[in-house]
Amino acid sequence: MNNIFKYSVFVIISLVIITGIVLPIPNIPALGDKARVLYFHVPMSWISVVAFVMSLWYAVRYLKTKEITYDIKSFSAAQLGFLFCVLATATGSLWAKFNWGSFWNWDPRQTSIFILLLIYGAYFALRSAIDAEEQRARLSSVYAIIAGITMPFFIFIMPRLVETLHPDPIINNSGKINMDTTMLIIFLTSLLGFTLLFLWVMNLKVRLELLKYRKSLKQA
Amino acid sequence: MYDFLETNSMYVVLFIVLIIWIGIFAYLKSMDKQIKNLENKE
Amino acid sequence: MKNFLRNVRIIFLKDVRSELRTRYVINSLLMFVLVTISIIRFAIGDEKIEDEILTGLLWISIFFSASGGLARTFVKEEEKETSSALKLSASPTEIFVGKLFFNLVLTFILNFLILILFILITEYNIKNPLLFISVLSLGNIGLVAASTIIAAIISKANSKGTLYPVLSFPVLLPLLLTVINATKLASAGINSAEIMGEIRILVSYTVVVITVSVMLFPFVWED
Repeated sequence: MNNIFKYSVFVIISLVIITGIVLPIPNIPALGDKARVLYFHVPMSWISVVAFVMSLWYAVRYLKTKEITYDIKSFSAAQLGFLFCVLATATGSLWAKFNWGSFWNWDPRQTSIFILLLIYGAYFALRSAIDAEEQRARLSSVYAIIAGITMPFFIFIMPRLVETLHPDPIINNSGKINMDTTMLIIFLTSLLGFTLLFLWVMNLKVRLELLKYRKSLKQA
Repeated sequence: MYDFLETNSMYVVLFIVLIIWIGIFAYLKSMDKQIKNLENKE
Repeated sequence: MKNFLRNVRIIFLKDVRSELRTRYVINSLLMFVLVTISIIRFAIGDEKIEDEILTGLLWISIFFSASGGLARTFVKEEEKETSSALKLSASPTEIFVGKLFFNLVLTFILNFLILILFILITEYNIKNPLLFISVLSLGNIGLVAASTIIAAIISKANSKGTLYPVLSFPVLLPLLLTVINATKLASAGINSAEIMGEIRILVSYTVVVITVSVMLFPFVWED
C-alpha cells in the first residue's frame, strides 16, 4: 500500500462526492433527488457482502493450513464488514423513511441485510465465548462457512414471499443496463473508490491485529 | 460568496461532506503512519 | 462401509440408552411443550384464531422446544467428560451421523406430540393432512441437520445455553421461512404441485447443510 494508492483513494472518493452531489440527475419518478443515495448507499452494502465473502475465504484457508494469520484476516474482514453493514442499514432505512414512509417495513432487501447483520452478530458472540485462541479460530471458521452456505438460499426464497419495492436501476427485469450514462459512470467510480478504501482500512486492521498478536506472544 | 451559498444550499452540504471525508482520510493516514512506526520498532 | 453403519448404530443406541436411563431431555422437553402450548391456549382464550397465525405459533413452539433438546446433544458429552472416550471409539463422521439420527428421532417424537396437542387445544384445521405431514417432516430433517453441527460448535464454548439460539437462528432462517410458508399453504388445502418449489428448497437445503456439516465436523471435534 504505497502513497499513490492512498491518494488515489482520496481523489476518487472526493470526485464521487463532488459529482454525486452537484451534477444534475435525470428525473426519476418517485425518487427525484433522493436517487443520489445510490452513489453512497449501494457501495456500503456491496462492501458488506464482499467483506463477508472475504471472511469466508480466509476461514476456508485457515481450516486448510491452520495458520493463525488467516484467522486474523478472517476476523478483520468480518469486523469491517459488520461496520459497513451497519452503515448500509442506517443509510438505507433513512432513505426508506422518506421514500416508503417508514424506517423499517421488512422489504426483502431489508430482511436480507438484517440476516447478514444477525450472522455477523452471531459470529462475534461465538468468538467472544471461546478463550483458547486456536479453538476460537477453528470454531468461528466453521460457523462462518455454515452461515455462508445457507445465505444463497435467500436468493431463491425471497422472491417467493414478497414483492420488493427496492429500486433496481442497474439491472432491470429484462437484464439490460437502464441508467443514465453520467449516473452509471459516477456509480461505478463510487463502487471502485469505496472498495479501494475498504481494502486500505482492511490492510490497516490486519496489521494492527498482527501487532497485537505478536505482542501477546512476547508477553506469554 | 455568501449570497451564492445562500441560494445554492446544495454546495453547503457538499462542503460539509468533503470536510468529513478529509477528516476521515487524515485520520486513516495518521493511523497508517503509527502502525508503520510500531512495525519498524519490533 | 459395513463397519461405518455398525458404528453409527452403536453411537445412536448409546445415546438412546443414556437418554432412557436419565430421561433428562425427554422429561424436561415434555414439560416445556406442555407449558408452551398452555401459554398459547391461555393467550388465545375464546378467540377464533386464523389458521395462518396458528401455523406461526406451531413453528414457534417447534423451534424453541427443538432448541432446548438439540442443543444438549454434544454439551452433555462435554459436561460428563465422556467426549474423549467417544473420540477414541469412533471416527468423527460416525459420531456425527449417529448423533444426527438420535436428534432426528427425538425431534420427530417431540413434534408429533406438539402437533397432536396443538390440534386438540386449538381449532387448527388442516385441509391437506398428507402434504402437511410431509412438509413438516422435511422441515424437521432440515432443522435437525443445521442444529446438530451448531450444537457441536457451542459444546466447546463458554456460555452454551444462550449461545445456541443466537447461532442457530440466522442459519435456520431460510429453512424456517420456507417451511412456515409451505405448511401454511398445506393447511389451507393447496395441492402438492403448487408448493413444489418450496419442497425443492427444503430438500436442497438439507442436502447442502448435511454435506458441509460432515465435511466440517472433524474440525470441530478435534482438540
